Amino acid sequence: MGQIKRIHEMLQSGAITCTELTQKYLTEIENSNKELNAYITVTPDVALAQAKAVDEKLARGEEIGLLEGIPMTLKDNISTKGILTSCASKILTGYKPIYDATVYELLQKEGVVMLGKTNMDEFAMGSSCETSYYGGAKNPHNTDHVSGGSSGGVASAVGGNLAVYGLGSDTGGSIRQPASFCGIVGLKPTYGAVSRYGLIAYASSFDQIGPITHDVEDAAIVFDAIAKYDDRDSTSRGSEPTLPTLHDEIKGMKIGIANQYLNGVREDVKAAVLEAAKSYEEMGAEIVYFDLPELEFALPCYYILAMAEASSNLGRYDGIRYGYKAEHYIGTHDMICRTRSEGFGKEVRRRILMGTYVLSAGYYDAYYKKAVNLRGAIVEAFDRAFEKVDVILAPTAPVTAFKNGYLFGEETDQLEQYLSDICTVPVNTAGLPAVSIPCGEDSEGLPIGMQIIGKKFDEKTILNLAYKYEEKEDKFKETKWGVKL
Amino acid sequence: MVTREDIENIALLSKLFVDEKDLDSLTEEMQKIVSFADTINNAEVRTGEFDNINNLSNVFRADEVLPSLPSAEILKNAPEQAEDHFLVRKRA
Repeated sequence: MGQIKRIHEMLQSGAITCTELTQKYLTEIENSNKELNAYITVTPDVALAQAKAVDEKLARGEEIGLLEGIPMTLKDNISTKGILTSCASKILTGYKPIYDATVYELLQKEGVVMLGKTNMDEFAMGSSCETSYYGGAKNPHNTDHVSGGSSGGVASAVGGNLAVYGLGSDTGGSIRQPASFCGIVGLKPTYGAVSRYGLIAYASSFDQIGPITHDVEDAAIVFDAIAKYDDRDSTSRGSEPTLPTLHDEIKGMKIGIANQYLNGVREDVKAAVLEAAKSYEEMGAEIVYFDLPELEFALPCYYILAMAEASSNLGRYDGIRYGYKAEHYIGTHDMICRTRSEGFGKEVRRRILMGTYVLSAGYYDAYYKKAVNLRGAIVEAFDRAFEKVDVILAPTAPVTAFKNGYLFGEETDQLEQYLSDICTVPVNTAGLPAVSIPCGEDSEGLPIGMQIIGKKFDEKTILNLAYKYEEKEDKFKETKWGVKL
Repeated sequence: MVTREDIENIALLSKLFVDEKDLDSLTEEMQKIVSFADTINNAEVRTGEFDNINNLSNVFRADEVLPSLPSAEILKNAPEQAEDHFLVRKRA
């Protein structure tokens, strides 16, 4: 049984009250957050008020929903009315949205308990959580290592039992990679499956909100609650429920492995993924190796488009309407430039500059337009692959969690960090769903993750396959942190 | 080839200041990223025009007035405000 159902039964049976449960999490956050740095803002008042409402309902002898009373967290780029939403950036100092993101609205209707807002790379730009203005979140398996990024805070909180689950966002791997680094489950839904209304934009044609959870069943429960059509997001469609088919047999399914996905991947990671493929064969699935040469261009294509979109999206931060404003300036242009130069961190400034470069006259055709059309070729390449296979199995990241200071290490140049996203970005480029689940550990005990990539709006198949693997192999490893129930 | 002048120009377009002392290192960094971006020009795949990921097309709703967010609430987030407006001083 998954963690959410287990806690749900405890609440329904009266084994623990929702207030006691919430208080346990708040206490553990208080104890551990100094070290894990998973939370930017903790919201005890909100959480305890939500818990009280659940307890009152239980006291009346009413049935509660699966997500009702379950303590969770949101990445700090998901808008929450009246609660600091910082994107881990200085430029959003003090910013309290005046509306809730659709995903949080939906979860509030389910009666969830929101513990607080979690750490991330600044504006979701990074793979280690270390570009955060608040310092990076640490890996609960070993705090000398990063939690990954950009949704590092959610992954650290869920892996460290400082929340039952959380919502992150994935633009180029930001849900899957930290989930993989922290040994838990992360689902990046199909582009359009979950509403982006209230998600602070990084690259709008890539961004998707999705769950980070302990187990596959939890991911399915949360996904089904948030994958709804929303007329406030013009790209929203919703998706089919995944829970009814979660336990289905997978015999006869075709699992593809693209040879290019294994290039440059560390040996132990590759071995763990191929071991998982064997396990699937034992369950009656068929493994099909094939070539996907277009993958070679997915990474530069992604970075060109994501930076271009970011440079446009981040144009709105001017110090006038919200957030940080420079203290001293002469004239409006100077005020805006100073606000942005002082308010954005180095990586964000770098991506804005690069995005502006590829969009500027003389370079637009060579970079931006070319990348847009290349994106079409990548979409078609995946479409062709899915004519032959049901899903694609791949490593989530070419390595396990980096050491702390990875971002600032003398030997690490920026490009190297971008290259570490090689396994995750093709999914965003093609708008596909993918789920990362643990499939082993390295010699230091750090988790290894694999991802199952599906056809558009076919979350039910990837979660079904992920569930069957988890049921058979269960590579989840508990950490020493947080609430033990 | 990315030049110092390119960086100064795009910084102006981006409304960002770049310190004189950081110009050379930033130019070098950007050159590396641009060279990486250049690899897409080696792509031998035939590409047609591409529009968007889920073949979405514009849908227009009826032109009816819907409630807006209250301006008093919006102004609460402004660093400075006066008389129901955002305040931008000439200098500070």
